[in-house]
Amino acid sequence: MTIKTKSLTDGMEIEHTVGNVFADDPKMSMRNVDVFYNDKQAIKNVSIDLARNQVTALIGPSGCGKSTFLRCLNRMNDTIDICKIKGSLLLDGEDIYHKKMDPVLLRARVGMVFQKPNPFPKSIYDNVAYGPRIHGLAASKDDLDEIVVTSLQKAGLYKEVKDRLSSSGTGLSGGQQQRLCIARTIAVSPEIILMDEPASALDPIATAIIEELIDELKEKYTIAIVTHSMQQAARISQTTAYFHMGSLIEVGSTDHIFTNPSHQLTENYITGRFG
Amino acid sequence: MTNQLKTGQKALNMNDSSMHSNTDRIKKSLKKRNSKEKRFRLWGRLAISFGFLMVAILFADIGTKAYPAFFQHWIKVDIEFNRQWLSIEPSDSAVRPDMQALKQANYSATVKKSLYQMFPSITARGDKRDLMKLLSYSAEFKIEDLVTANPDLLGQRVSLWLLADDDVDSYFKSDFTAGQSSGRINDKQAMWLKQLFDSGAVEKRFNTLFFTNSDSREPELAGIRGALSGTILTMIIVLAISFPIGVSAALYLEEFAPKNRWTDMIEVNINNLAAVPSIVFGLLGLAVLINIFGLPRSASLVGGIVLSLMTLPTIIIASRASIKAVPNSIREAAIGLGASDMQVTLEHVLPMAMPGILTGTIIGLAQALGETAPLLMIGMVAFIVDVPTNFTDAATVMPVQIYLWADSPESAFLAKTSAAILVLLAFLLIMNFSATFLRSKFEKNGQ
Ligand SMILES: Nc1ncnc2c1ncn2[C@@H]1O[C@H](COP(=O)(O)OP(=O)(O)OP(=O)(O)O)[C@@H](O)[C@H]1O
Ligand SMILES: [Mg+2]
Repeated sequence: MTIKTKSLTDGMEIEHTVGNVFADDPKMSMRNVDVFYNDKQAIKNVSIDLARNQVTALIGPSGCGKSTFLRCLNRMNDTIDICKIKGSLLLDGEDIYHKKMDPVLLRARVGMVFQKPNPFPKSIYDNVAYGPRIHGLAASKDDLDEIVVTSLQKAGLYKEVKDRLSSSGTGLSGGQQQRLCIARTIAVSPEIILMDEPASALDPIATAIIEELIDELKEKYTIAIVTHSMQQAARISQTTAYFHMGSLIEVGSTDHIFTNPSHQLTENYITGRFG
Repeated sequence: MTNQLKTGQKALNMNDSSMHSNTDRIKKSLKKRNSKEKRFRLWGRLAISFGFLMVAILFADIGTKAYPAFFQHWIKVDIEFNRQWLSIEPSDSAVRPDMQALKQANYSATVKKSLYQMFPSITARGDKRDLMKLLSYSAEFKIEDLVTANPDLLGQRVSLWLLADDDVDSYFKSDFTAGQSSGRINDKQAMWLKQLFDSGAVEKRFNTLFFTNSDSREPELAGIRGALSGTILTMIIVLAISFPIGVSAALYLEEFAPKNRWTDMIEVNINNLAAVPSIVFGLLGLAVLINIFGLPRSASLVGGIVLSLMTLPTIIIASRASIKAVPNSIREAAIGLGASDMQVTLEHVLPMAMPGILTGTIIGLAQALGETAPLLMIGMVAFIVDVPTNFTDAATVMPVQIYLWADSPESAFLAKTSAAILVLLAFLLIMNFSATFLRSKFEKNGQ
């Protein structure tokens, strides 16, 4: 079986993405995006829209380029010298790689939760308060307190840490750190939230809280989430995109992808015959 | 059937035994590994004990040599503030002399005559001179200070403790037999000293002059205040120049500069700079700072700048290493929240790198603290009597002072040399402790 799948893609360029990549009301639209690490191409000619106030799930086997693609959407890849990006990436019709686009402002509008939890070596409070502070989002100390508490509550962490807000964020468990990073990101109230496996280290209860949060957040925000859990993608997303070796194989409504995938690779993946 | 069972059992046994032998093998190797670890720990302890032992020997050696320098002998003399001896005009006791007259008074004669009064039997000129040699020549300045501060003393007779000459001091500090000549003290002097000693007119006191005086030709008056002030002033300059410049350079090179041939070349050259012999920086200081910019010679400002050049590469290299060690995920976290590059650098990278930067700084400063060669070129290796009070005053530094004293023939300077080394070490320890304190503060913040 594995051999067969391999022969399907080995040396073969995938020309077209199966399914409809266009959204009716796109918050972001990416066209013909190529990403290179030095000479190695990690993303090949990907076009996709992120529909406004919807959750788009990016799925695919490990190393297929999900994180790489996600990091292009708020120009996180600018920090990697060897990374080169081609194609057009629009946020509300504006080119985010245009000279006039300030990456600092862009990242305030497009927030990100990273694959590995990376709390600052500061107090839990300061971790969450950092974003609002640098952007001047809180008018007063009380304001800031409120932002911190509600963000922690939404991330389902408040109960566990309310007595030790001044202790270090790095002293939390892996799953707690992950929720702290989510709280930190939503404290800035970005327009778009990019999440790279936000629930990879969470127990079912915490995962449920985060999924609830995502469901709630999409009322106001646009969300893209990378996940390795098919069930999670099926539960929370409206649109699913399947990546394979740097190419976007198939995009479609989540219902469609999980019940009736059009591409053989997608089917193999979601039925567990691959990856 | 039985056969089959047997083979089955055999197979099972074999499986069992092979499992056994695996555990045995691990156990065996574990034994080896454990003993290796034990040996390593032992080595570590030995190395540390050896280090401590050496430091202890060093301190004990310097300490015992320095000990005498912290004490001095004083001699009680009945000084008569005689107007005639002082040759103050008019000699009429009813008239209060003005300041001018007091300044010009003959104090050395007063000391001499007061001393002769205590030993009326001494008449020969040579003996009188020998008698005078028992006292430090600072005695006349002391009584001058007393009289100018309080002219009412005129005409009175006061018992004063006066500093003994360094030869007398050494005589009392060596294991002398009372009344016997020894070293630079002749038989007669030894006898007088015994008389003074027996009458309780000799006292050993803590040597405060060592900390309040500057260098002097007279060993009993020489102190380290001047060199210590010079060192502090120079270190302030070194810190003020090399720390901000070194850290900014390191931050720029690590966080902002593009990685290309130019930055590679800069990196190589910074490493080269760290290996340049320090005297070369002294030559540079002489040629550029003094000859071209006309900065004053022997000034701690120039010394500080020269030593900064020497310290900079050390600070830059250590800072870069510690900035590099800041995990990239922290930078990404801050950038992802919309922090600007400057905010990422100052609010996240710098605080996390600070402990390492401080370590590098303290190493650099400690190097600068012990340096004499580059100061030679800019005239800071000199006999300087005044305590420098600002950055352009002529100054010298502790290691130079140590070198100058070690080079002096008077035996009293031997103890002073060791005492100055102790003070230098104490200075270094204070510097280290403050750095450690700051370091732990940053580490606590970082956790
Ligand atoms: N900084 C980098 N430098 C060089 N190559 C990289 C870098 N980051 C990722 N890559 C390469 O790009 C490809 C895609 O990596 P990416 O991290 O996007 O995969 P992923 O889909 O997120 O995988 P996973 O599910 O395991 O997180 C991989 O082959 C990887 O080796
Ligand atoms: Mg990834």
